[in-house]
Order: sequence, then C-alpha cells, then structure tokens
Amino acid sequence: MKIKTSRFGTIEVAEEEFIYIKGAILGFERLTRFVLLIRDDRNPLWWLQAVDDPAVAFVVVNPRLIKRDYDPPVYESELEFLDIRDKDDIALLAIVTIRSNPFRVTANLRAPLLINAANRMGNQIVLEEPAYHVQFDILDHRQELQEMGSEEGKGLERLAKQTCAAPA
Amino acid sequence: MLILTRKLGEAVNIGSEIKVTVLDIKGNSVRIGVEAPRQVAVHRSEIYELIQEQNTQAAAMAAEISLDEILGHLRKEKEK
Repeated sequence: MKIKTSRFGTIEVAEEEFIYIKGAILGFERLTRFVLLIRDDRNPLWWLQAVDDPAVAFVVVNPRLIKRDYDPPVYESELEFLDIRDKDDIALLAIVTIRSNPFRVTANLRAPLLINAANRMGNQIVLEEPAYHVQFDILDHRQELQEMGSEEGKGLERLAKQTCAAPA
Repeated sequence: MLILTRKLGEAVNIGSEIKVTVLDIKGNSVRIGVEAPRQVAVHRSEIYELIQEQNTQAAAMAAEISLDEILGHLRKEKEK
C-alpha cells in the first residue's frame, strides 16, 4: 500500500508491516495504523509514522538502550488486551521528544508503547509508578546510550526485522 | 457540565458501556470505580493531560529534525 508522509514523501509499505494501535496514543486517538521506519541499524532512533496522517510521525527508541534495567511492571490485563501470550512477544518503545534551544532529548518512560510482536497490535500504556519519568533525559544518560545489539528485547528484534527501511 | 449528587455505593452510567461508582468517601478523598470497555483509556486527568501534552510535543518537534543529525549530536556529547 502506498502511504503519504510529509517527511519521506510517498512510500510503499506492505500491510503486514503495519502496527495497529488497539487502544490509543493519547491525544492521537483517531490514528490507529502506524508503520515503523528504520533508517539504518546503527541509529537507535526510529520513526513511527502514522499511515493515515502524513504529518504525524514520532521518534521512538528502545527504552533499554537508554536505561538498561528498564523492565516496567505490565498489568496482566494490558497483556490480555493485546493478546500477548508469550513474554518474548513483548516489544516496548519509548516516544522521544527533541527540543532545540537548549538542545534536549527526552524519552517518555512513563507511557511506553507496548506492542505484541506476534500480531502487531499495540497500545500506549501508562505506568502507575511516577519513578518512571515522562521526560527521561537521554543526554544525562548518554553514557548508557548503546548501539543496537544484544540488549535488544526479542519482541522488538522481531518487530524490527519485519519493517520498512526509511528513505533518507 | 452535568452535575449529579450521588451517595456512597451509588453509580452513574455513561452510555450503555461505562459505569462510575462511588466506592468510598474519606475526608476530601473519594474512591471511584470505573467499569468501561477495555479499549476506553481510563486515566487520572492530570496524568492523561501530561501524557497527551508530551505526545503532542514529541510529534510537533519531530516534524523538523533529522535523526542522523540528532544522533551525531548525541555521539558528540558522549565523547565530551
């Protein structure tokens, strides 16, 4: 299927690569179909492009690349909602906010995207524990910013495999 | 805004699928129970607004950046 994007122009994406948001990305309830665009293996920052709105794209990152011990408690009901039966199907992504003047890059670790790598259904979950920061500063933790590698979760790895290469 | 008075244990139905029940009242705290279909996101308002605002900001800023540029910047910062 051809999808229009304001950043990458028109791109061709197989529908099997879509990620379906079954709940909501808060504030973007009307958008339910997304596609993950990965520019190259060395850049841990990926795009999550809305299929039905060319202008909406989020920068996302594997939260474990910026906080190694990130392993938030996910409610059974959240797993059930997305029909996640195997822990290896869990893929977590954090939405990144980038600001200039002053340059600041933060990841939302409080409300990650939970995705079932098996059926590609996802939802933005909100963690009860305020110790998970909404604006987790990546620059403050840049020592920990890892390149893609063994730290990556199995679910995320599978999700990344079946995904579109982002045009330059 | 519709304003209704409810006693402890009483409830309000919103449409056919959402029910809000007053479970407990202590001083100025009220515990409420919400029954809603799973696809309806139920959050405390301040959290909902916080996340919504963060998402909106993330999408707005993403319109103007190049990831390679950001990564270059992060790597440079890392070397310092």
